[in-house]
Amino acid sequence: MAEETAAEGYVPYRSRPEWKDITPVPQDDGPNPVVSIAYSEKFRDVYDYMRAVMQRDEMSERAFALTADAIDCNPSNYSVWHYRRKLVQALGKDLREELKFTVSVLREQAKNYQVWYHRQKLVELLGDPSEELVVTRDVLREDSKNYHAWQHRQWAMATYQRWEGELEFVEQLIGEDVRNNSAWNQRYFVVTHTSSLTDEVVRREVDYTLGNISKAPNNESAWNYLEGVLRGQRLRTYPGLLDSCEAMYTKGIRSPFLLGLMVTMCEEEIADGGPKAAECCSKATELCNSLATSVDTIRRNYWDYVQRRVKQTYQTTVPTAV
Amino acid sequence: MFMALPIFLGGSSDVGGFRGASFLGMPFDLTKRSAGVCNDCSHVAMTYTALATLLILGDDLSRVDKRSVLQGIKKLQLADGSFAATALGSESDMRFVYCACCVCYMLNDWSPIDQDRVAQFILKCQNYDYGIGQRPYLEAHGGSTFCALASLVLMGRLHTTFSPARVEGLKLWCIRRQQTGFQGRPNKPTDTCYSFWIGATLHLLECASWVDKLWNTSFILSTQSKHVGGFAKWPDTHPDPLHTYLGLSALSLSGDLELHPVHAALNISQRTVQWLHHLHTTTPPHSHSM
Repeated sequence: MAEETAAEGYVPYRSRPEWKDITPVPQDDGPNPVVSIAYSEKFRDVYDYMRAVMQRDEMSERAFALTADAIDCNPSNYSVWHYRRKLVQALGKDLREELKFTVSVLREQAKNYQVWYHRQKLVELLGDPSEELVVTRDVLREDSKNYHAWQHRQWAMATYQRWEGELEFVEQLIGEDVRNNSAWNQRYFVVTHTSSLTDEVVRREVDYTLGNISKAPNNESAWNYLEGVLRGQRLRTYPGLLDSCEAMYTKGIRSPFLLGLMVTMCEEEIADGGPKAAECCSKATELCNSLATSVDTIRRNYWDYVQRRVKQTYQTTVPTAV
Repeated sequence: MFMALPIFLGGSSDVGGFRGASFLGMPFDLTKRSAGVCNDCSHVAMTYTALATLLILGDDLSRVDKRSVLQGIKKLQLADGSFAATALGSESDMRFVYCACCVCYMLNDWSPIDQDRVAQFILKCQNYDYGIGQRPYLEAHGGSTFCALASLVLMGRLHTTFSPARVEGLKLWCIRRQQTGFQGRPNKPTDTCYSFWIGATLHLLECASWVDKLWNTSFILSTQSKHVGGFAKWPDTHPDPLHTYLGLSALSLSGDLELHPVHAALNISQRTVQWLHHLHTTTPPHSHSM
């Protein structure tokens, strides 16, 4: 708008003498455009010139400067970012300065796909990931669950094999918010890529997770992580696990995740045709009833389904029972 | 009817498909196929959207250069099985896997893509909690979970890719997203759009009956804007077309209002899908080019 451009001392491209040689190219949506966007005067001016130089594939400083304005107007325009990447290389621009540019965009738009991809490409060109952990950490300080930041961080760590200090970083985040599912996910990423899930590591992870569960028994993230690190193992016989669950239950904890895990451990025994199958069948039935009617009522249809499944499993694996 | 054709990038180039708009300045000309300008390319999400829009409007796709579109799709698949969005390069994740699969399904031609690699990629994206992330090791998320499931269903490979244990685990992860409406990840706030991403996934997994409809529909309806209409991600928040569309689609899937039934995998009405299937049976393959 006129007021906006005047206030900033901003000169439209159509008034700039150094752009006189360029004929601006308007966007042509034909005579009956549908859902037209109400572009501001500034936007139109910037993009009329952006279109003109992109069509000639002009590789110049003025085009490079124009891309910054175009990105400011619409940071999601992937074509402009692509063209800017070509300019960066053609003009031999300082890639570290360009990295700084991405940070200035990230400050405003930390959830923009194009700026993160641009950063990735720059890092690849430089072959230097040294800033990536710091940049993503700073973004995560503002929003600890920013999916783009976590994705970029995992990319940098895996591509350049930078694992040091990450477990500590994850523990710090979990300490700040035990319910941060992104942090628990990152823990799984780190552990499986560094030490892998040896018996010793699994023991350490189970103990760490149970400790966090005792602080917040209703925290789904921790319970999912617990079952995740124990995948492929028999839960019912994992040392101390059943005891820990029963102790929580005895204390009066009625977390739907606790009860759900206890049902799973019962189903294991039944499916294995173990000595406690009958006992487990009635225990699981009781737990499913409790979940459906009071502990997790929003999912009552699911827990009714599980109850039916438990009974079916019992009937098929314990044929002598009536 | 607004023609998507001026934004259609055809010819034998590797960038076939649809653009999102004519923002690079190509002229609006219904009489000729746009030859493309420099720095120009199609975008897989726009190709999906354009084809879906044409079908919704009752178009028979006879003016779409299918060979060119499919060639464009072929160029986007990467070694790991995932897809980028444009031939000039972009990030790659489950969103574009879904778009590519939808395009193949709509054009009834899977030849440009390697379905085995797609399935392998999806398998690697299922995380320790059985939910599915955008890429391997990334946090399980409602959006990527939908994209993965819908892609497998469209390819007819759900049960050949996921074991019964993986399917059961995924069902539980999904149904645990319901708090009132649905959240996209554990311990995050509910948001109207996840009533579709997760709700549709539960439909595809044939366990939509587990959803508490009353809580779900109440939440979606609570995000309606009293001033301008439409739906938002949360109550008392500005509405937008995405949440309005997904809110309506989710309400349709829950079956409670007088809305057209929705095809959960393609995210268009069943009426439109019937039209599409009619085209499949009456249009010989690749008989039309512009």
